[in-house]
Amino acid sequence: MSQVEKKAGLLRRSSSSKKPLKEKVVLMYDEIFAKEDPAKNNSRFWDELFLMKVNLEYLESKLESVDGEEVQRIQDNINSLFHHCVQALGEEHQIKVVNALQTLCALFRGVHQKNKSASGFDIINMLMGFDKAEQRMKDLMERLDSLLCGDGSESLKSLCLKLLLCLVTVTDNISQNTILEYVMINSIFEAILQILSEVSSRGQHGYDTVVLLALLVNYRKYESVNPYIVKLSIVDDEPTLDGMGMVVHHALTEYNRQYKDKEEENQGGFFSTLTSMVGSMFIADADEKLSVQTNEAILLALYEAVHLNRNFITVLAQSHPEMDIPTTPTTPTPTTPTSPLGTTPPSLDMMNNPELPLDPNLQTSNLLITFLKYASIVMQDTKDEHRLNSARLCLIILTCIAEDQYADAFLHDDNMNFRVNLHRMPMRHRKKAVDKNIPSRPLVCAVLDLMVEFIVTHMMKDFPMDLYLRCVQIIHKLLCYQKKCRIRLHYTWRELWSALINLLKFLLSNETTLLAKHNIFHLALLVVNLFNMFITYGDTFLPTSNSYDELYYEIVRMHQVFDNLYCMVLRVSTNTGQWKEAASKVTHALVNVRAIVNHFNPKIESYAAVNHISQLSEEQVLEVVRSNYDTLTLKLQDGLDQFERYSEQPKEAAFFKELVRSISLNVRKNVSLNTLSQDVLLKEFSTIS
Amino acid sequence: MADAEVSLSPALRPLHLSPSHSAPPPPPPPASSSSPTTFSCPSSPSSASSSSSSSSSSSCSESSSDCPVHHHHHHHHHHPRPQLHLPPPPHSEQPSSPSASPRSSSPSGSIGSTGSLGSSASEGIGSSGVSSGGGDARGPSPPLDVISEDAMEMDLGIDQVIDPEVALKACQEVLLQVKLQNREVPEQQQVDNKRQQEDQQQQQHFTDSMEGSGPQWHVSPDTSSIKEEDEEEDEEEGEKRDSPPSARPESSSLLSASSSSSKQSWLLRLFESKLFDVSMAISYLYKSKEPGVQAYIGNRLFSFPDSEVDFYLPQLLNMYVHMDTEVGDAIRPYLIHRCRGGITFSLLTAWLLGAYSSDMHISTQRHSRGTKLRKLILSDELKPSAPPPDARGAVSASVFDGPSSSSSSPRRCHRRHNSSNTDSASSFSAAGGPSPDSPAPGEGEVFVSPSRRTHQRSKSDATTASSGPGSGLRRTGSNPKVEAVHEEPDRLRPQRELVKSLLCIGKRLATLPTKEQKTQRLISELSLLNHKLPARVWLPTAERQHHVCRVPHTQAVVLNSKDKAPYIIYVEVLECESFETSPVPVRIPETRIHSARSAENLDCGGTAANANANCGSVMMSEHRAGSFSTVPNYDNDDEAWATDDIGQLQVEVETHTSSSDNISQFSVDSITSLESKEPVFIAAGDIRRRLSENLAHTPTTFRRDPEDPSAVALKEPWEEKVRRIREGSPYGHLLNWRLLSVIVKCGDDLRQELLAYQVLRQLQSIWQQERVPLWIKPYKILVMSSDSGMIEPVLNAVSLHQVRKQSQLSLLDYFLQEHGSFTTEAFLTAQRNFVQSCAGYSLICYLLQVKDRHNGNILLDSEGHIIHIDFGFILSSSPRNLGFETSAFKLTSEFVDVMGGLDGDMFIYYKMLMLQGLIAARKHMEKVLQMVEIMQQGSHLPCFHGSSTIRGLKERFHMSLTEEQLQVLVEQLVDGSMRSITTKLYDSFQYVTNGIM
Repeated sequence: MSQVEKKAGLLRRSSSSKKPLKEKVVLMYDEIFAKEDPAKNNSRFWDELFLMKVNLEYLESKLESVDGEEVQRIQDNINSLFHHCVQALGEEHQIKVVNALQTLCALFRGVHQKNKSASGFDIINMLMGFDKAEQRMKDLMERLDSLLCGDGSESLKSLCLKLLLCLVTVTDNISQNTILEYVMINSIFEAILQILSEVSSRGQHGYDTVVLLALLVNYRKYESVNPYIVKLSIVDDEPTLDGMGMVVHHALTEYNRQYKDKEEENQGGFFSTLTSMVGSMFIADADEKLSVQTNEAILLALYEAVHLNRNFITVLAQSHPEMDIPTTPTTPTPTTPTSPLGTTPPSLDMMNNPELPLDPNLQTSNLLITFLKYASIVMQDTKDEHRLNSARLCLIILTCIAEDQYADAFLHDDNMNFRVNLHRMPMRHRKKAVDKNIPSRPLVCAVLDLMVEFIVTHMMKDFPMDLYLRCVQIIHKLLCYQKKCRIRLHYTWRELWSALINLLKFLLSNETTLLAKHNIFHLALLVVNLFNMFITYGDTFLPTSNSYDELYYEIVRMHQVFDNLYCMVLRVSTNTGQWKEAASKVTHALVNVRAIVNHFNPKIESYAAVNHISQLSEEQVLEVVRSNYDTLTLKLQDGLDQFERYSEQPKEAAFFKELVRSISLNVRKNVSLNTLSQDVLLKEFSTIS
Repeated sequence: MADAEVSLSPALRPLHLSPSHSAPPPPPPPASSSSPTTFSCPSSPSSASSSSSSSSSSSCSESSSDCPVHHHHHHHHHHPRPQLHLPPPPHSEQPSSPSASPRSSSPSGSIGSTGSLGSSASEGIGSSGVSSGGGDARGPSPPLDVISEDAMEMDLGIDQVIDPEVALKACQEVLLQVKLQNREVPEQQQVDNKRQQEDQQQQQHFTDSMEGSGPQWHVSPDTSSIKEEDEEEDEEEGEKRDSPPSARPESSSLLSASSSSSKQSWLLRLFESKLFDVSMAISYLYKSKEPGVQAYIGNRLFSFPDSEVDFYLPQLLNMYVHMDTEVGDAIRPYLIHRCRGGITFSLLTAWLLGAYSSDMHISTQRHSRGTKLRKLILSDELKPSAPPPDARGAVSASVFDGPSSSSSSPRRCHRRHNSSNTDSASSFSAAGGPSPDSPAPGEGEVFVSPSRRTHQRSKSDATTASSGPGSGLRRTGSNPKVEAVHEEPDRLRPQRELVKSLLCIGKRLATLPTKEQKTQRLISELSLLNHKLPARVWLPTAERQHHVCRVPHTQAVVLNSKDKAPYIIYVEVLECESFETSPVPVRIPETRIHSARSAENLDCGGTAANANANCGSVMMSEHRAGSFSTVPNYDNDDEAWATDDIGQLQVEVETHTSSSDNISQFSVDSITSLESKEPVFIAAGDIRRRLSENLAHTPTTFRRDPEDPSAVALKEPWEEKVRRIREGSPYGHLLNWRLLSVIVKCGDDLRQELLAYQVLRQLQSIWQQERVPLWIKPYKILVMSSDSGMIEPVLNAVSLHQVRKQSQLSLLDYFLQEHGSFTTEAFLTAQRNFVQSCAGYSLICYLLQVKDRHNGNILLDSEGHIIHIDFGFILSSSPRNLGFETSAFKLTSEFVDVMGGLDGDMFIYYKMLMLQGLIAARKHMEKVLQMVEIMQQGSHLPCFHGSSTIRGLKERFHMSLTEEQLQVLVEQLVDGSMRSITTKLYDSFQYVTNGIM
């Protein structure tokens, strides 16, 4: 998209007769960069300047090329230019406004590129001058605010947002962007809300707005009081929150759809029939192609909304029609996540239409479902760093959700049943899940499925310990809720149990490699305690009495794993070493599991012996289990149903800092000059003027 | 006398819309004994006026509508003219009460009543005085008060007699006038205005009371309210007078003489008698060809309590639509009056008119009376342009904090106020008292709440704005939208929109293939609907006045139906004093429920908040400020919410609070063990045992079945559902919170259902009256058009089909499972309930020839009653004419088993009940017949197919049989039904075609 535009622009510039015009601008720029006050000779200099088409490249390169001493010399002129830009924003003449916005953009960029190492104060001084900075920025923000909220042209609003994004991302580390201090003081939060609350403006600017908000919220998050955090946390206007949810929903849906398309592309043709058999051979290739770049900015926005604003939780459950069906090829050029800030607003038909479309094929969906699907895709491959970060962020968001009572309430709501088609990684030892026959179940089942899926598919050398911990903790939080509210979820717990046991098995067999990098005992402890939850509190949340028997069956069946684990932790805890304490915790936690194993194993063996059966059937084992409960005594363990609440600081601070940095880079890259100098815009206004 | 009356009225008010009637035998004031004249009186205004002097026929005519009110006065006829003057005295007493205006919310202001009372009661003269009195009094005298009522009633002592001759004449004149009126409303208004000035001319007064009300109200709020009240009070009076009909032979004779028809005199006596109820009125309205009689009854309608007339509204409207102009003209004033009175009545009328007009040929339909009236109503021209409601609105607004107040309808309130001065004084003084006189613009009422609401909103905005630098501006910017929506001047609009969107949902659902998809879609559609609530909308099936505040959309479920998509929704409402004038509740965000749940943990939450690192305490305080201001009414919860919101109670806290649940001792144990280091041991067997016990103890629920999503929803005990939904609702903590439910049907003609409902209600009251313990459950039907409507669901009931499919038990075994073994009291009670309801519905099925009786159409409630639903095939229609179901009613061997077998006592009891029920029904056959017959008029409903419908119905009452013969008949019916293979055959037929067991 942007490429094309650029070319068009170049062509035009080189071939058209507008050359002299361009020259004039450049001449004027040169005048600014001269020592003299450009208005001295020509009192209408500034008026004229903003009537000229901006030459961003030239202006920026000019700024970059200015060296230290020159800066002092031309500072007055640059200050003046900045001042007049701000003033021009108030002009009725929209061409002037457009040009002023673009010039400002170039100013911010140019100055920063020049002064990569310079302190923020220098930059402020250079742009506005210390003494006037406050007033200038106040004016600027007010102008932008009124442009964003006015009835003006949508393209103009879009340009305003680009300018803001440009401003917010000029530095790699957002917190070092001193100019943002003024954006904190002169909040444009309300403008953001207004854009999000209106259907039409949301459709066109929603994406940029949400990204902008996510970035602003992360400015000096931990060091100072960020008014955007404060304000975001108290928004309770439903249309606005809904609007925000819609934007996120749409972006994630778009991603899911693209992924699906790619997937189908890869499987297309006559290969599709072969993949099930020979598939594994192609998987490596396919994986490469399937990686669609993730959308961290939107995910960050979702996180901030979920984390900061309790009211947003309701938005998660707000039903929308499912949008990821490719039957609606609305726009030929849908925004690709790689250039999310491109000029074409995403096709937001659904968002623009308050009425639900009437299509029997449309499944009802909601933000949470879309998010779960997204997470299932992202989690498939955590090798590349972006995806790892995205997967981590997804799990953090799920952690926040699992901790929220209201969210738990609708996750477990028996009346809200959905089919959630999670993406499953094709693996050698299992067939690709058949999408269709997934029953309609409460949403929490989908969350649990996702966790199980993750556990099963990531036991690899490069062990994502952090993700595993989060994963197990999410399960734990959900169980705590179920226990507390006595919700008997009809879930096939067996799958979870066997996944967890397999995880333990993996930890055991890779002990040495893993121990070099991770504290595997902590994870083992969490897993064992999940079993303890089931063993001691199963009566409060298991769906059937049979399921309790099955739990015992599963433990006894896999007793080898627990035995080995016990040996291992016992060994480590008796040695002196850094893991001593961690390991001994696991030994204590294993008390009940071992009691079960030691109690039932002999019983089963003797049953087999008495009945002369070499291999007991499941039913027979269950029978033995059922008849021998009463002689088994368990120890009640403390704090099984307690968990540490999620808190961003200090644990996650570093992660978010890095994440925001990477998002900033990405956004900056995409707010290209070309998107700023849209011919469309000029055309639109040239007809007016 | 006076005392008696006074006492009466208070009692009545709370009960009925129009007090007078509800009280069956009001102690007749001695004076009023004159009643025989009544006939003439009813024509009231004219009669009264004419009585005094046939002065101006014209005036009478206009007044026709008003007439009813005035009748009362006629009785007192003695000094027709004087009466006008009489009113003043009462006024003088009343002046003290400025409160008058506030009550006026509904047209029937208490004030007016007093005024009227004063006039009417005071000296019988009142007749003219009523209206006129009211009008006159208002001008010069301060608003009447409750007190005045008493005073007036005292005055009743004076005898008054109306000249029957004159009355009769007047009657006819009235008729004429009515016709004129209908055409020239504006004229009337002018007249009204004149009247005000010409109080002395009684006739004019009459007219005022009715038609004039509109314009007059504009003039001064107080007066308007007064007028309305006058009318109502008059009605009361009228009734009282009616009661002693025999007292005055002379008058009747006079009448007869004048009319020279003995029959009429009889009629007159009948009409005057206290036995004359709405049912008879309707009947005579239908049968009588005499315009005078029709006009009289038309007027007389005013004197019946609204609720009683409402029951016959379908009949009235059907007559209005399909019968000759005379009848229509007679009814019209009443309809207009009531439509002015309330949104509810207006909409009901409009819907029914639409439905009943639909049978007409399109060409005629367009110009028919019904269609025109419907248009008139929907155009919303019939609004009570009265300021009173406004004042009332203000009152209720201020009173809003105490939403639990029981009084439901404005009228009732009035009554109450009248009855006890202190009462009214206190309640009104709260807000309305101080400035009752302030004249408000006609539409004021509508805006009251919106403005309040927006005001609050903006306030909250302001506060949030202040919290952060330069914030808030934008948000106020978006508010205008909200206002725009709510300031919809059309008072009928919100409700119509609601109904429309509900019906649209139904239509759209019908296109989806599976139940699961339907339910999902339903849920998401409703969640959109939720965004627009709370609003000034209500569920017409409900008893009490309320505003709908939320639809717990996840609870909604699609019902079983082959090609249509009926669905049941649960609706949270907040009861209020007056649906029309009380302020619409403020919206509370969904997440606000956290507050209620965790209110106990306030302090802990606070500390936790600090712990929560990233937001910091700054944010918390901000947050609080914000939420406080948003909904000032719910301070406490807000606080709780705010803390909890950020605080995210820590686990420890939560476990502590949950320790109250004793099902599992473990959760408790685990905490206690925290302190004591002693290890706690538990037996695995105990855990397992508790698990199975817990599972066993949960009430028998149905399994979730994607093919039958409603089974689970309907099986859940209502109380439990209410509790559950209340817990999850942000409005749940409000005292006036209620849960209602309604079935929305699209694409079905509910007119037959409505007829069946009426017949059932009629029979139910007959059996009650005759003390036959038959049990039936008529459920309310709302007809919204000829192919849509709403149904009041039967609570705690599931269909026999669902019972069977889910439990896989025989009916008897299911009873044993649900209620206990044979000898337990619970079982016996359930069995008795079953028998009584079986007997009731057997009779119903026989009399109405209810067909299509498969198990999906028979419900079983949690107390053991069966309830038949779906009266789509009754009287002359039967499904697909397959010739199945020839038996009189459905009595399967399963039923007999539950009753204890063929030889059991309960089975004998069953037959005995049927016999008693039939005898009782026979006694009141006319009431039933007449209802059905009227509805046949102009109807194309399948139940009226053929010419013998009514005759057939009549024959099934077997008037000619002796009781012994009847007994034999019952035996035969029971026998036949039991032996009938066709019932069984039909069931299997249903199973094959529809999957219904």
